Amino acid sequence: MDMSSHPLLASLDEPPPFPPSYPQLRRLDRSVVCQICKEPFQAPVSIQCGHSFCSACIRSSLDAMKKCPSCNEPASEGHIRRNRALEEITDSWEESRPVIHGLAHPPTSKKRPAPEPSSKPASSTGVKRMKQSPRAEGSSSRSQSPTKSRKSDIVESDIPIDLDEDENDEVLELTENDEAPCPLCQASLPISSIPMHIEKGCPPPKGKTNGMRKGNQKADWKKVFSGQGTSSKAKEVEMKRITKPNYSLATPADLRGLLSEYSLSTTGDKSALVARVQEWIILFNSNLDTSHPSSLSALRAKMSDVEASKKRDKEKGKDEMINQMASTSGLRKYAKESGGEFERLKREIIERDKRRKEEEEGKGSGRDNAIEVE
Amino acid sequence: MSTAAKRRLIRDFKRLASDPPIGISGSPNPDNIMIWNAVIFGPPDTPFEDGSFRLTLTFSDSYPNKPPTVRFVSKMFHPNIYANGELCLDILQNRWSPTYDVAAILTSVQSLLNDPNPASPANVDAAQLFKENLKEYERRVKQTVEQSWLDNPDEIESEPTASTSVQAVPA
Repeated sequence: MDMSSHPLLASLDEPPPFPPSYPQLRRLDRSVVCQICKEPFQAPVSIQCGHSFCSACIRSSLDAMKKCPSCNEPASEGHIRRNRALEEITDSWEESRPVIHGLAHPPTSKKRPAPEPSSKPASSTGVKRMKQSPRAEGSSSRSQSPTKSRKSDIVESDIPIDLDEDENDEVLELTENDEAPCPLCQASLPISSIPMHIEKGCPPPKGKTNGMRKGNQKADWKKVFSGQGTSSKAKEVEMKRITKPNYSLATPADLRGLLSEYSLSTTGDKSALVARVQEWIILFNSNLDTSHPSSLSALRAKMSDVEASKKRDKEKGKDEMINQMASTSGLRKYAKESGGEFERLKREIIERDKRRKEEEEGKGSGRDNAIEVE
Repeated sequence: MSTAAKRRLIRDFKRLASDPPIGISGSPNPDNIMIWNAVIFGPPDTPFEDGSFRLTLTFSDSYPNKPPTVRFVSKMFHPNIYANGELCLDILQNRWSPTYDVAAILTSVQSLLNDPNPASPANVDAAQLFKENLKEYERRVKQTVEQSWLDNPDEIESEPTASTSVQAVPA
């Protein structure tokens, strides 16, 4: 399959997904994803209809169309409100994710734990069952509460970091998911995390991060003010959002004025200036919608990164490639050159279909209907 | 650091590769991620069945706030597909949303094949036949299905310069 071989896919530095046996965790993963950028929310905001997006994403989208990207209801910048709880949820989920992933997807243990989840009684063994058969369809052990507060399921029974651990352990063998005391410092933590914990010199497993969080907020806001010199006018400007100018009425001089206020480049014709101002306003205003904003110099660096990337593309003639395809003959030429690529894609579909049929035949023996394709 | 459009496209690719819709495949041009190649198989139990149709998608820096330009490279006979391969599909124009990704676009195009929209005819012949002479319509569609199997399929229409394919059946 393409996945491992294509270099582009490797460049996406992503946490691995949850296995299909945990649809609830997958659902939770999806719920903190912005539907515009398909990444976890950054500076999440809501608009009038109630849908939420990253602040930068929705500001950018509203520049192009005044509708909610999810439900098409009319929307505008004036309706944007910070969604603080959503930010906290997203951030804390991101923090917890590696832990939960380690629990849900243990490295292959040397001793295979005893099977037979069904013979165990209910209640606390909800926990043990999960660990025993991570590959099992969640349904057998989860059927007790399929639709009830899944969150509590996950928090309470599935992540026994603080819960009582090994009372029933005489029946089970210790797997990587159980907790045990660190051989060096006696702190209790999941076995799979112990090697790393020791590597780091046995830092206490919890509580440290909480304190840091609060401290960081103040430091973050300080960053917004710093790096701007001592001009007090600049400080006032920073706390308020920038109002969008009327781009058709604004003169290049007006735009350059705005750009120089923030120490941005003033080169280019009017359309370049408009693009730069638009991009800056999005970056600046969305930066105010988060509890851990970047400094202005970080924002400026981001701006110049984007412009540099576009410039590089232009120099490599990438825009040209696209323009050439616009004409019929250009497209035909492109199609001919890419014949091999198209063939490969076609074969991919055929192989995928074959594999799927083989799987289905393996499962449903004795059935000879054609495989239903939706 | 890449632009927002590129990041999003890489993500789209990842999703398409790991969770591909049936009968659809696509990937970016190795030299330029803003250009994608895709193949759509005709949905089974339709006149388009067994066809393997080629398309290109070209993206701009405003993606996903602006839709890509989608064009069929294979020759098509369909009420909403222009002779030059362009599509008349609402989600690619006024009903576009930045929440759509490449998988969603290709799936919509595949659905369009057996579900034309008579209200916006791009190919007048096809639209007419679809309404008045379904049998003939299907015959013409099956022609394009067969054409799509050739290595260098007879692609989009152009001026009367000879095409490279060996085509006995008149277009």
